Amino acid sequence: MSHADTRAMPGFRAEPEAIERTGTPPSSGPLIQCRRLSKSYVKGDNLITPLRDLDLDVSAGDFLALMGPSGSGKTTLLNLIAGIDRASGGQLIINGIDLSTLSRGQLADWRTTHVGYVFQLYNLVPVLTAYENVELPLLLHRMSARERHERVRTALELVGIADRHDHYPRQLSGGQEQRVAIARAIVADPMIIVGDEPTGDLDEESARAVMDLMTRLCADLGKTLILVTHDARCAAYAKRTLHLEKGRLIELSGVRREEGASANHASAGGAT
Amino acid sequence: MRMLPFQYAVRNLGRSPTRLVLAISGSWFVVLLILVAGGFVRGMMQALGATGSEDNVILLGAGSEDSVERSEILASVPGILAASVPGIRTRAGVPYVSPEVHVMLPVMTAGPGRETPGVAGAPPRQALVRGVTHGATLVHDSVVLVEGRWPRTGEDEVLVGRMAPTVLGIASEELAVGKSLVFGETAWTIVGTFAAPGTAVEAELWVPITDLTTVTKRETISCVVLTLDPYDQDTGEGAELADVDAFAKTRPDLELAVIPERAYYGKLSEFFGPVRFVVWVTAGLIATGGLFGGLTTMYAAFASRIRELGTLQSLGYRRMALLFSMIQESTLATATGGLLACIVAIMFCDGLAVRFSMGAFGLVIDQRVVSLGLLSGLLLGVVGAVPPAIRCLRPAIAVALKAV
Repeated sequence: MSHADTRAMPGFRAEPEAIERTGTPPSSGPLIQCRRLSKSYVKGDNLITPLRDLDLDVSAGDFLALMGPSGSGKTTLLNLIAGIDRASGGQLIINGIDLSTLSRGQLADWRTTHVGYVFQLYNLVPVLTAYENVELPLLLHRMSARERHERVRTALELVGIADRHDHYPRQLSGGQEQRVAIARAIVADPMIIVGDEPTGDLDEESARAVMDLMTRLCADLGKTLILVTHDARCAAYAKRTLHLEKGRLIELSGVRREEGASANHASAGGAT
Repeated sequence: MRMLPFQYAVRNLGRSPTRLVLAISGSWFVVLLILVAGGFVRGMMQALGATGSEDNVILLGAGSEDSVERSEILASVPGILAASVPGIRTRAGVPYVSPEVHVMLPVMTAGPGRETPGVAGAPPRQALVRGVTHGATLVHDSVVLVEGRWPRTGEDEVLVGRMAPTVLGIASEELAVGKSLVFGETAWTIVGTFAAPGTAVEAELWVPITDLTTVTKRETISCVVLTLDPYDQDTGEGAELADVDAFAKTRPDLELAVIPERAYYGKLSEFFGPVRFVVWVTAGLIATGGLFGGLTTMYAAFASRIRELGTLQSLGYRRMALLFSMIQESTLATATGGLLACIVAIMFCDGLAVRFSMGAFGLVIDQRVVSLGLLSGLLLGVVGAVPPAIRCLRPAIAVALKAV
């Protein structure tokens, strides 16, 4: 399957231009800064703490894989970075914005412009066509119908599924559905793409194709990509891999660890 | 706040045809019930409200102002009135004065084995029989002879109202001209049919007053209805209610009470207030039952896509936008049911005759009732969607994304 050259596509610009587009001045430091980040919640009589005192820096354009056993806090960290969950303690600063200061509505708006989410089970809306699914995030942006059409078409071409634009999710294979989901994640040109086991429901070949695609997009569009995965083969695509256990960062591989950094303080991409 | 596309709500309706059918048929039933209740109340109000003319005055026996059937006044009163009260409308010298006898009688159709008075066939039903003179045609201007002729005195002839079949619980063919009715131990031949659109009069049986007083063995009449010419200050012609009232007060020996005809039927309308209340309460209770059914249906529909709601929130859609879309979806279904109910009500319920103690009236499915029905359909959609939608939107996004 041939894919369009992402660098020549209208509407999609590599960071930091895309960051500037959001109206937030680009910061000189890491794109994502986690400081003593914790998440806990009460379940029945128990206080569950899936994430505790995590320090992490991620640079713009990085590709990070989060690995660890079930319940280690990978998805919790991903959800916090994606702005769909709130930390119980510590700070999470993304592109200079402390997410804990945003109201629920502001956080929703922030997600619209900053994050694209790719799910394990694709999570496409079954009553909408591939085109309409990809168009969904753009309906939250002020733009003309023509521009919207252009961007959707481009996104579908980028993931190589433009010929299936009028198909409903039930008419697509798992791999194709995930391509549509990736198109949906990138169409609004967010600075961060997150994926929660995006290949977890795919066969080996489709998984490889999806990972190839995401890696290429990340590189060409300059997006920061953070994936949760159990699969070492997928993690191998990432520039950096974080290993989490019981809510703590226990290992950072594929990147130089800063001298003297605590076991729970990692800097990815060498930004700090 | 940016909304989800309208087609999302529309297409969601098609996810489960069974649920869609349930939602539409449920709202259809509830709205139809509300329409029938509304049509009933409106029909009753209209029948009683439209009965009687603005210029008419009823003179009844003092103390019987609440029921003309209990009233008794001297048979000489009409003549005295015509001679004494100025301002009574006249046509070609004939005053608009109608002496009347109103009596509820058991009535049954005559047929083989029932020609003889007193021999019962099908069980008789109560109907209002009005004894009238030609003066009745003058004062009751809404009454129109639609078939046959006026009954002759001494011939045991009867004129039947168009709604009389409903009151008697029989087919209209059985009250065709030439057929017979049995009441007051007499067989009466039907010689004509009259209409009095939208009024309670249409359910009555009219016979010559002298024939009725004979069979009911009474020497008095029930009331006198007169039509006054509106009082003109410049010419001093015409009369007002006060003039008739003054006459009644100057003749205490006649023991008369004076009531505008509209006011009399208005009072009757008040009497039926509790009936209307019960109708609304019953409709409300059944509608509430329907609403709970709708809540369950909509909850099942929304609960099956909690993960999708979480996904849409993760894209940046706010909960209010999702709530609005779910309300759209629910309202589309209930509005469709409501619209179908309105069509059915207009086609099959409008004018449907209903029997009540005063006679009969037709259900009125007019613009107001249809508006009420459509509004109920929309309200059902909103009320039926909000609680389940809120419940399905309550989980945090991260939790919703894990929903099966």
